[in-house]
Amino acid sequence: MRDYALIHVNGVPREVRGRDAFMMLADWLRREVGLPGTKIVCAEGDCGACTVLRAFAPRGAGGSPPRFEAVNSCIAMVAQMDGSHLVTVEGLQEGDVPAPAQEAMLRCHGSQCGYCTPGFVMAISGMLEQHPVGEIDDRVAANHLTGNLCRCTGYQPIVEAACAAAAVDRRSVGDRYGTAEAFSRAEEAMDRGLEIAHEGRRVFAPTTLEEACAFASRHPECRVAGAFTDLGVPINKGRAMPPALLSLHLIPELLEMEDDGRRLRVGARVSLASLRRRCRDASPEFARFLNLFASPQIKNVATLVGNVATGSPIGDTLPFLLVAGGSVHVASPPAGRGPLRRREIPMTELYRGYRQLALEPGEIITHVAFDHDAGDETIRLYKVSQRKDLDITTVGAAFAVVWDGPRRIASARVAYGGVAAVPLRMPEIEAALVGELDPRKAESIARAIGDAVQPISDVRGTAAYRRVLAANLFRRFATEVLDG
Amino acid sequence: MAEPRSRDTPAARLDVRPDPGSAPHDSAHTHVTGRSEYVDDRPMRPGELLCGLIYSPYARARLKRLDLSDALRIPGVVAAITAADVAHNLWGSIVVDQPLLVEEEAQYAGEVVAVIGAETPEALRRGLAAVRVEWTRLPAIRSIDEAITAERFIGAERRIERGDAGAALQAASHTLEGTLVIEGADHFYLESMAAVVYPGGDGPFEVHSSTQHPTETQHVVAEALGVPFSDVSCIARRLGGGFGGKESQAAPIAAYAALVARASGRPARLVLGKDDDMIVTGKRNPFQIRYRVGFDGDGRLLALQAVLHSDGGAYADLSTAIMERALLHCDNAYFIPNVEVRGRVCRTNHHPHTAFRGFGGPKGVALVESILEDVAGVVGRDALDVRRVNVYAPGRDETHYGQTVENNLLPSLFESLEERCEYRRRREEIRAWNGDPSNNPRGLSMTAVKFGISFTTRFLNQANALVNVHRDGTMQVSTGAVEMGQGVNSRIAALVAEQFGQPLDAVRMLATSTERNANTSPTAASSGTDLNGAAAVAACERIRGRLASLAARLRDLPEDAWPSRTAGLGTQPELTVADTPPPLPVRFEHGRVRVGDGDAAWSIGFAELVQEAHRSRISTCEYGHFATPHLAFDKIEGHGRAFLYFTQGVAASEVEIDRWTGEVKVRRVDLLMDLGRPVNHALDMGQVVGGFVQGMGWVTTEHLHYDENGLLVSHSPSTYKIPNVQDTPRIFNAELVFNEGNVANLRRTKAAGEPPLMLALSVWTAVRDAVSSARAVRVGRREPIAMAIPATAERVLRALEAETFARVEGGRTG
Repeated sequence: MRDYALIHVNGVPREVRGRDAFMMLADWLRREVGLPGTKIVCAEGDCGACTVLRAFAPRGAGGSPPRFEAVNSCIAMVAQMDGSHLVTVEGLQEGDVPAPAQEAMLRCHGSQCGYCTPGFVMAISGMLEQHPVGEIDDRVAANHLTGNLCRCTGYQPIVEAACAAAAVDRRSVGDRYGTAEAFSRAEEAMDRGLEIAHEGRRVFAPTTLEEACAFASRHPECRVAGAFTDLGVPINKGRAMPPALLSLHLIPELLEMEDDGRRLRVGARVSLASLRRRCRDASPEFARFLNLFASPQIKNVATLVGNVATGSPIGDTLPFLLVAGGSVHVASPPAGRGPLRRREIPMTELYRGYRQLALEPGEIITHVAFDHDAGDETIRLYKVSQRKDLDITTVGAAFAVVWDGPRRIASARVAYGGVAAVPLRMPEIEAALVGELDPRKAESIARAIGDAVQPISDVRGTAAYRRVLAANLFRRFATEVLDG
Repeated sequence: MAEPRSRDTPAARLDVRPDPGSAPHDSAHTHVTGRSEYVDDRPMRPGELLCGLIYSPYARARLKRLDLSDALRIPGVVAAITAADVAHNLWGSIVVDQPLLVEEEAQYAGEVVAVIGAETPEALRRGLAAVRVEWTRLPAIRSIDEAITAERFIGAERRIERGDAGAALQAASHTLEGTLVIEGADHFYLESMAAVVYPGGDGPFEVHSSTQHPTETQHVVAEALGVPFSDVSCIARRLGGGFGGKESQAAPIAAYAALVARASGRPARLVLGKDDDMIVTGKRNPFQIRYRVGFDGDGRLLALQAVLHSDGGAYADLSTAIMERALLHCDNAYFIPNVEVRGRVCRTNHHPHTAFRGFGGPKGVALVESILEDVAGVVGRDALDVRRVNVYAPGRDETHYGQTVENNLLPSLFESLEERCEYRRRREEIRAWNGDPSNNPRGLSMTAVKFGISFTTRFLNQANALVNVHRDGTMQVSTGAVEMGQGVNSRIAALVAEQFGQPLDAVRMLATSTERNANTSPTAASSGTDLNGAAAVAACERIRGRLASLAARLRDLPEDAWPSRTAGLGTQPELTVADTPPPLPVRFEHGRVRVGDGDAAWSIGFAELVQEAHRSRISTCEYGHFATPHLAFDKIEGHGRAFLYFTQGVAASEVEIDRWTGEVKVRRVDLLMDLGRPVNHALDMGQVVGGFVQGMGWVTTEHLHYDENGLLVSHSPSTYKIPNVQDTPRIFNAELVFNEGNVANLRRTKAAGEPPLMLALSVWTAVRDAVSSARAVRVGRREPIAMAIPATAERVLRALEAETFARVEGGRTG
């Protein structure tokens, strides 16, 4: 076991021990490493001022080195960055020459007060790592900047800067910092598990699932730390760090996706960004939807398993998983000797109440699985929020229907988020949908949905608004499929 | 000095110019490389304490028990401050009515009762959690209506009148009345409130604060500590945004850190997290406006009667001045012959509301733009035609407070933008589009802004500046202006460089500090460059006068008699000069100082001349003071010249509403502004585009939500939605008019900071246009649409589907 996390910052390897390992990455960079260019504003992953670049090569991945991607450093815990290669705004400039993203932001007047600027510079740099010269237009650029807020410029000059930077030939951050030496140093360290304890807190990152399950059952109070994007927020807002954290980043099988051509099985550490790339063919509507929800910074680390395990009634992926035959795979230690106990829980049986999951103590979610789109099926996913992008859902809906001829429905699945304490499948509505669909029937089903849901009023909208939205999302679906 | 009279309304041909190639912001390089230092980027000094706040969770509550002993027992907790530790526990920018720390009764949720100072973040977290505080909840006033009923007000009613609005309303062929509800908004500066204080002893307390008003911060800190003003220095290098939020309310934050620094004898740092920042600090004042308006069959306004009530929150802060500016902007760009507007600030149990870009102006502008939109519906004309009938024009150019609108470009701005944005063609397209009820409704609207530039409180219209010309010809300049992104330092640097004919990089702007510039006004009211730039130019002019005289003398002396050759020897009589320039023309350009014209011209390098001045014992440093002339507004009568000049502009916005959800998409914005002769085109454009998008947030998605205790629930970006990059207009054509006519102001420039925000009201009126035309298709006629600000998706859907919501809220289906 190692008692330190190995992190490269701007090419310099650092072994982080003790108290520092339990810090948030942004605080550590600013206070301990002495790099205050990275800013903290919201401390919850909504503003992007803390954006840094991260590359992480899983153990034994081999092959081509991974890309440097934009991530939020304010909701990442230092120990979880073990094995990562980080680049901050201070690491971009080479000598006296600003990097293309920096030069373009300067020339296009992309900074005013400057507080969001390092975050935008890093988000643009992350975009440049992903796209060859000349591939960026306004739309692509804006998609890469949805995770960053600016209150001064109105964004127009920043989008111009992103496009201008993309037109310049450049040496990539990967070429500069993603050296074979750095990667092999990290890989060598990651062959050993990590365990750091400090003043009653403990973080454990084993290299096998067996060890992980054993730890989880020995420490029932432990939290599984995936990407930390959900756990980090309450900690930043004054809650204490959980006493025991289990990190799965050193377990290779959890970083993989398996696809048997019919069903996709997604490991607990697969990022939403890689999932989206993988889904483009198997589940195009889900891939499109993943574009809308969360920021690039979040999607580069956050996982589907995390979204499922958090169990929020407005979890963005949950209505989809409910209509796509979703299930979770869980593992727990064997009673005696022998292999791990594993079982599969259908999504429809997972949620018992508000954020309550049907898991036994010591059980860890290892995978989430769901069906590919069937050929004769129409799937539509909707999300309504106060703001179009990077916002928490007011109401979400998923509709999947199998056709039995034009306008004739053979079977249907309908799920809603944000209308009850748990994400909801609606069997009565599904049954009513079977048969011929015409505008009159669609209207009566819309009204039935409005009647069936039990939403609450909160900061995102009143119960009445949610009721009308729930009905209207079905009206939209019906209009789209009847017109289309 | 005679009051300048600017040129008359120029011809319809406006001179729209592109950016001639502007210099970047003077901090751009350090911004993009992460080297710009903000308050919290200062390295921690040995022993420095981190501070945190304890505040009331209730809108109104009596403090039953406050016990800090458990907190102080936690290892690493060093200081705990309560009201008993404050020397003078009352402050206020206009009315001194607000305690720094609650003594007996909290008046709002978020009001601070104690400050903890600890050595580490973990000790601070535990210390804050260990404070034992108990409250007895008391009945609270949570709305404007409740305050009116209880007759709880701040200050007296203000009134501005012209003509006889009552009689004119009686006589008018058409009248409309209504109530306009405008909610608050959070500044959402990215850098939350922050202060670091190094304790005094060997010098003054050194306060580094993210403040728009270093002087007031200095004074509030001194009074809190019970020391003379001379024992406190306040420094503001730069702010990560301010927008008015740090005009008054930065001061108590600095005072909290200072109290910890004094109690502990250690440096103390208070940096609020975004959640605490949003809960503790005040917002844009919510307004509720009842109005009656009379007009003729063409939509020409004849009379306006309005009663404006604002939610001032628990303490006065700047709310009375904000109300005054609202009353002064009820006309906006339009001539209304008979006006009676009255305003009253309500005292409620909310955070004390405060300055926010526009400072009351946006409420006045919203009122009249809303009225004109509805008037157009009643008389059956296009809203643009109704606006053009009413716009200030020759013969109809006196405001309701008796100031003439000089250099009035408004009619030409309307005319020009109508053409540039193809208004008529698009209006027809939208009419056809909206005819099909299966389309998402679209709306189009053009609104204007005419924003008065000057503080309405006369004494604030002054500034001072220090200009030091060093012996190598470079300059250090400091003023009372605070750099918060707007580029005030870049503009002042450009003005100073221009004065001496030196390149921009010869001028270094220094951090704003009360040690260099005392008794300054806040950087607010869009006036930062106007006031501080003029003070800097005044200082430059005196230095130039002396240097020009010296240059004229040197021309006539043989070089071996110049002071630099002889001053050490004392062989020559010393050269003396006056501040006034010599009779010969002297020009400072391209790094040289040129005496005389044509063939007789003679020149000397600027740096060389500065050297000669020093050897002649002639000062090349100067302190300038500027006081805006010609202001003559009588606040009691509500009459007179309130403003030095007006900044004007127009914008046309097209929106599309998602008919199923009420979500608004801005399809296109065309915008034209008159900013005079910009010092830096790109910086001005940054204010225009940025201000517009900020205003879009205020009128669409930014919604403040409070719980039943009066505590703000939407206190972070996950619940409070400022515009994101995807919310910006799909097409955004913003352009500046080049106008030489603003002779009233420094270098014929115009202030740019606040006015563009108000043009975003065109998005709000376009949403109403869309809703109104969608409903017209359904119910067969156009009717006025009541729509609060912000027009959230829920409100828009409610307006669009009023019947559905009535059904649902009556307990039946959606």
